[in-house]
Amino acid sequence: MQSKFASTLLALAAAAAVAVSGAATARDLMIVGFGGGFQDNARKHLFQAYEKASGVKVKDDVYNGEMAKIYSMVKAGDVTWDVVMVEAPELVRGCEDGIFDKMDWSVVKKDKFIPGGTSTCGAGAVLWGLSLFYDQTKIKNGPTTYAELWDTAKFPGKRSFRSTPKGTLEIALLADGVPAADVYKVLATPAGQQRAFAKLDKIKPQIVWWKSGTQPVQLVGSGEVAYAVGFTGRTVRANAENGDKYPLLWKTLLYSVDYWAVVKGSPNAKEGFKMIDWITDAKPLLALAEDWAVSPANKEAAANPKIAVKNPGMLSSHVADGLFIDTEFWVQNGEDLEAKFNAWVAK
Amino acid sequence: MAISRNNLLAAALIAPLFAVVVASFIVPLAVTLWTAIGNPEVRETLPRTTAALRGWNGSDLPAEAAFAAVAAELAQAQESQSIGPLARRLNFEEPGLRALLLKTARAKDRLSAPYRTSLVELDARWGDASLWRLIARNAAPLTTLYLLRSLDLTLTPDGKIATAPADESIFLALFARTFVISFWVTVLCVLLGYPVAYTLSTLSTRWANVGMALVLIPFWTSILVRTTAWFILLQREGPVNALLLGLGIVDAPVTMIFTRFAVYIAMVHVLLPFVVLPLYSVMKGINPAYLRAAASLGAPPWKRFVRVYLPLTMPGVAAGGLMVFMLAVGFYITPVLVGGPEDQMVSYFIAFFTNQTINWGMAAALACLLLAMTAILVVVARLIVPGFRLGSVSP
Repeated sequence: MQSKFASTLLALAAAAAVAVSGAATARDLMIVGFGGGFQDNARKHLFQAYEKASGVKVKDDVYNGEMAKIYSMVKAGDVTWDVVMVEAPELVRGCEDGIFDKMDWSVVKKDKFIPGGTSTCGAGAVLWGLSLFYDQTKIKNGPTTYAELWDTAKFPGKRSFRSTPKGTLEIALLADGVPAADVYKVLATPAGQQRAFAKLDKIKPQIVWWKSGTQPVQLVGSGEVAYAVGFTGRTVRANAENGDKYPLLWKTLLYSVDYWAVVKGSPNAKEGFKMIDWITDAKPLLALAEDWAVSPANKEAAANPKIAVKNPGMLSSHVADGLFIDTEFWVQNGEDLEAKFNAWVAK
Repeated sequence: MAISRNNLLAAALIAPLFAVVVASFIVPLAVTLWTAIGNPEVRETLPRTTAALRGWNGSDLPAEAAFAAVAAELAQAQESQSIGPLARRLNFEEPGLRALLLKTARAKDRLSAPYRTSLVELDARWGDASLWRLIARNAAPLTTLYLLRSLDLTLTPDGKIATAPADESIFLALFARTFVISFWVTVLCVLLGYPVAYTLSTLSTRWANVGMALVLIPFWTSILVRTTAWFILLQREGPVNALLLGLGIVDAPVTMIFTRFAVYIAMVHVLLPFVVLPLYSVMKGINPAYLRAAASLGAPPWKRFVRVYLPLTMPGVAAGGLMVFMLAVGFYITPVLVGGPEDQMVSYFIAFFTNQTINWGMAAALACLLLAMTAILVVVARLIVPGFRLGSVSP
């Protein structure tokens, strides 16, 4: 993607940086996720627990899913992140681009994952979902479906969506009456894409777009917007902290899997695979589930009845109501739809 | 001998500056320009295919060798995890090609000689000469595609320039928006900064220092902090709305956040010191005798201002205005935090292409065009705005 000339310059710059900082050898294992309540609890039950079990020093960091940082690291040959959490289409594209290592299935046991929990370069971490919510202390009877969310006369106020076509276009089609099973069939056609954008056009002035997962709860909490489609995990946490202000509308669930992947060129790749195997085991995940409504991509943990009762927010209990975000569709159409989506948003 | 020693000494003194300029300005600029026009993907991933396409007439289907090479090279690229950049590059030019390339790569075990039939059976698009023309054309080391797309133009498969589809044409409007916002921010900064600088320049040293501190303390505060402060002030349930509601001026909260109004207010606030400081230093240097002379010759106050004071301060207006304009053109975080989607400027899209779609060609092309357009505007401004020609006082 970048020219040899440019990558040579980047490599030189990186080499200079390494020389100045006194060589990047023998650093701690760096694991990077999306932050939030999951990571705060994973730090204790997965990362530090692994450190204790293996003796390998682990540090963690947070990002918003921007792939550019990982691409530049790999191109410059100065990889400072070892294990990262990524969303499914980014994982597959990154795998094709050679920024993630192929998963070493001789280290990571492949048969422990739920169906769809493994990919060439990734091992399933958790299920995540998006769903509609509002503050029921301010609004008595809010919309319960996406079709109702479009009724601005009955439900006035701003609405907040994630500023990505992934998820938002599906919601528009669901609101327009497309059955969940046909959403991707319709969205694959130019007419279907136009239909989704036309539906969004109807409420465009009422939309506030969010980028980071912390925003939906903030926007609804501050009254800036009346309704938001946000990550279920954050909503569950906000309910735990603020006393169930936000009813979870599971019928509006869209869900997918986040994966663990090893960054190509990581000096700790071997350790990385070992760690991924450990933190995807049922035992630490069940310990994590004691503190946090996690929806693990591990078969045994997901099927454990105790955590399903303890965590009503667990996605695996609600997937029957939800729409699975089609990874393959977004790998094939993501770039094109992102360009169109951004052009539409800015108009 | 002595001269050459002096020369050496001078060179040694200049060397650090030269190194900094090269490392922090010339090299990044060259890399950016190169990224905007570089076209390495097809050359690097499909070398044998492009070699086989050399000498092809471009209208019939190419020879079997090209089909065999493309099947082998795509499969190999997928195996070595290097198919992504190629797929992204061709898909950017023609949506749908990513799917075709990956499908072909995955089908390697089902493909066999003669590949001409085998590939067309797999997907009819391989039997379309325009796809092969697209590949052959992109064997060239440079491309104008990114620059054209940044100007709402595109290339047809045959390499002709055409207008981009309406649902992707946003960039001309985006550049216009960027310059319009920057222009009004500059005008507002000059109009607001001028009286402030004038007042400061007439105060006694002690009060001038106090006034200066009031200008400088926000100037030294991080842009992020100041922008976030505006976010808090302007939000729906924020203090400004509370005040308006409390005073009974409005009945319902006014939408101020995520609007163009919020962008203007926050950008002007952030950039105001950049016009106050140069104006103040110019105003301090004006000899009051000129104004007294004008008064003694019978000029009324407005005439003294328009004919004497204003022309004398024009260099400060020009320097401050130019600085504000240049900074405003590149603004990113302020519109992102307090503006709506219709208020985003070019930088937002540069960040989008860099982070989101990893299309660094587009990011670099937008950056180069923004730089070029700004440079042209500055040159034009130098020609038409007085005061750029240093110290010139128009008659």
